[in-house]
Amino acid sequence: MNKAAAVTGALLLAAGLAVFGAKAFIYQVPLSPADVRGLWQVGLRITARGEGRHGSISTLLPSSVPGQTIFDERSTSGPLQFSIRVTDGARLGVWSGRFDGIHEVRYEFRVQSFGRRATLPERVVDKPPDEVTRAYGRSSPVYPMSAPQVEALCDELRLPSPPDVVGRVRTIFAFVTHEVASVRSAGDDAVLVLERREGSREGKERLLVTLLRAAGVPARNVRGLQLIEDAQPMERVWTEAWIGDGWVPMSAGSGFFGEQPASYIVLGTGDRPLVSGTEVRALAHRYHSAREHLRPEEIAAAMAPDNPALANLSLYTLPLSTQTSLRLLLVFPVGAFIVAILRNVVGVETFGTFLPVLIAFALRNFDIVTGLALVGTVLGVGVVGRLALERLRLLLVPRLAILLCLVIFTVTGFALVARTTEMRELLAGVLFPIVILTMLIERYSIALAEEGWRPATVRLGWSIAAVVVEYPVFRSVAVGHLMFSFPELVLCIMGLLVWIGGYTGYRLSDLLRFRLLARPEDATP
Amino acid sequence: MIFAGLRRAGVLGINRRNACYTLRWNPRRFYPLVDDKLATKRLCQQAGIPVPALLAVARHHFQIRNLLPALADRASFVLKPVHGAMGNGIIVIAGRERDRLVRVGGRTLRPEAFNYHAAGIISGLYSLGGQPDIAMVEERLETHPLFAELATQGVPDVRVIVYRGVPVMAMMRLPTKASDGRANLHQGALGVGVDLLTGRTRAAIWRGRPATRNPDSGRLVLDVAVPTFERILEIAVRAADRTHLGYVGADVVIDATRGPVILELNARPGLAIQLANRAGLRPRLDTVDATWQPDRPLEERVALGRDLARRHPPRAA
Repeated sequence: MNKAAAVTGALLLAAGLAVFGAKAFIYQVPLSPADVRGLWQVGLRITARGEGRHGSISTLLPSSVPGQTIFDERSTSGPLQFSIRVTDGARLGVWSGRFDGIHEVRYEFRVQSFGRRATLPERVVDKPPDEVTRAYGRSSPVYPMSAPQVEALCDELRLPSPPDVVGRVRTIFAFVTHEVASVRSAGDDAVLVLERREGSREGKERLLVTLLRAAGVPARNVRGLQLIEDAQPMERVWTEAWIGDGWVPMSAGSGFFGEQPASYIVLGTGDRPLVSGTEVRALAHRYHSAREHLRPEEIAAAMAPDNPALANLSLYTLPLSTQTSLRLLLVFPVGAFIVAILRNVVGVETFGTFLPVLIAFALRNFDIVTGLALVGTVLGVGVVGRLALERLRLLLVPRLAILLCLVIFTVTGFALVARTTEMRELLAGVLFPIVILTMLIERYSIALAEEGWRPATVRLGWSIAAVVVEYPVFRSVAVGHLMFSFPELVLCIMGLLVWIGGYTGYRLSDLLRFRLLARPEDATP
Repeated sequence: MIFAGLRRAGVLGINRRNACYTLRWNPRRFYPLVDDKLATKRLCQQAGIPVPALLAVARHHFQIRNLLPALADRASFVLKPVHGAMGNGIIVIAGRERDRLVRVGGRTLRPEAFNYHAAGIISGLYSLGGQPDIAMVEERLETHPLFAELATQGVPDVRVIVYRGVPVMAMMRLPTKASDGRANLHQGALGVGVDLLTGRTRAAIWRGRPATRNPDSGRLVLDVAVPTFERILEIAVRAADRTHLGYVGADVVIDATRGPVILELNARPGLAIQLANRAGLRPRLDTVDATWQPDRPLEERVALGRDLARRHPPRAA
């Protein structure tokens, strides 16, 4: 290695390690992700269009209630004014101002959700507190508990006697769960749902509340999100009934009773919509969420180490969607580093320099066998298609474009198969690096024709081996966390890459290739 | 160290070749002179170094249809990409059979297939980095009788590595059935090391394994004197001198009537030549560096090359 390369590498490595060391050991930014379940970050993005008039957008904001702790709330508002109002026990975030053109606002928070299990008393003697009965025991247009159909049903269900509140609630819950069909397109009016014996999720929960209130049990709807790993959160509505001395969660639509799963977080109670607006048009919103790997106090350390310069550089303060992208992006230097080792130190020949990295990245949501089988299918279809195209004698670019179409057809096929076989993970196939796979097919086909199937397939095998080596890197929560919390490690990787680039020693593959010359028996002094 | 054996044998590895020889001695701006075979041809012709005659060129797709008419009076010729590498994309036409072209090895080719191949070349299918390329047709050299005897097909050549103006190693490359007439070792050609001192073949390598005979004919290829070897070294060194490159592989073909001609030059010559010679390149390269003086006459440099082979002989086979 020449001196300049050695020094440059060392400087980069030292710079990266210095920042890393300071953060890790002086400011105590945690090195490894904690195995803390129920930690998420959630973001909401609302867009709306206005025509120059004063208007507002409001959304339900979560609060720390039993079962969940909310922290690190952030909002962006552009030219609008953001304020938080508390009305009727609901916490509302309101953006108001003059709406002209398209506006986008964001609201993000982190939450630790523990889930909640309510104790169900055998018998209830105490009456619910007056304020609970007043607020959640009345008839209203949404919960028409005095409607004749509702009263008739309550008679028909032959509810247990009033002290057995749990029995009454169970009977009603069982009725709504089993006797009312869930139909996505059905209505949400409680009485209509009751009459037709079918309703939307929303309609069934409203009916549940209406029936509970009619049976003398204060009840309310809860709005929130069901958080799902690697997918968009689902907006959910469920029900709480006052039993004994507290609210008991249940859902006829999601099928839980007495225990609210930790994947559900509460945004608000009542029948207020999650997002609403006045004097705005084309109001749209979207929640997104990602698992968080740090404890609240650790995030505080990562976000704002006691050093303002480091705090400004912390990626934890970025908008959630950017954080999610950066988490993925920052793993790529590690992948590229491994490629450099494989090629320049081990001496592995692969198709395309970064192809294994991109394929491993695309496969991170699959188990490796399924993933490779899918890539293999794409490759197989492509190579057969390429052989067929060979006869047509097409020019290069149109031929490549046709291969690209074939690859996309195959991936589309995966999506259709996924729908019919319920193998939902096949859907992630659409994330395949289409262009890269197309080039792989072309190069493999040319290698097949020029070098014969053996060398071509050996090289393909090494490419797959490289994918298998890279795969755990992209799966690893620890690597993702480390690179995201300490992006300065990219400097270290650059330093190591400079050293690898300056490595003039033998590759491991040279041992095999030149073994004829290195035979010890005819070694001469 | 696991690499002690390789180091003792003085083997040049690919990392070291790239970092210390090609990157160090071959400035990027001179690559076009060797990567572009038309430029190489021009360069050699200006210096009076013999090269195969250029018969036709198609720079654009619409010029492809003029290729075969321009070759109407020739039975044999070679179609190759101007920016090709490792012998890829080369088609050698050995003769004609009615309206078809006959390739080396006997397979026939319809004129449309020939044109399709030329179109693939122009589209960049065989060029480095997939850049649009130029299709060229040059005369097919008539293989020297001795070479024709050693290799049953293709165009055998002699690859000479020239380092800083000094020939350091040479090997004869004999195409085989397995290599489809191409002279590249990794495609299955037979590599036969030539002793610079004596000009005789000493050892051979086929598909990474020691060999003594041509796998197709069974003909013994060792201890054969390469004809006009002195002249081969001379034109290899002269061509390398013209390129401004310090580490070059010169491919020389011995034409039956014209004698040695430069087929092409390579700025990243492969390392298998060490296997064919049973000798590592490093001691020879180090000696060139240690004894290097500017402006030495050609004869002196060729003599130094021969002396290298004496000082750093191959290991006993």
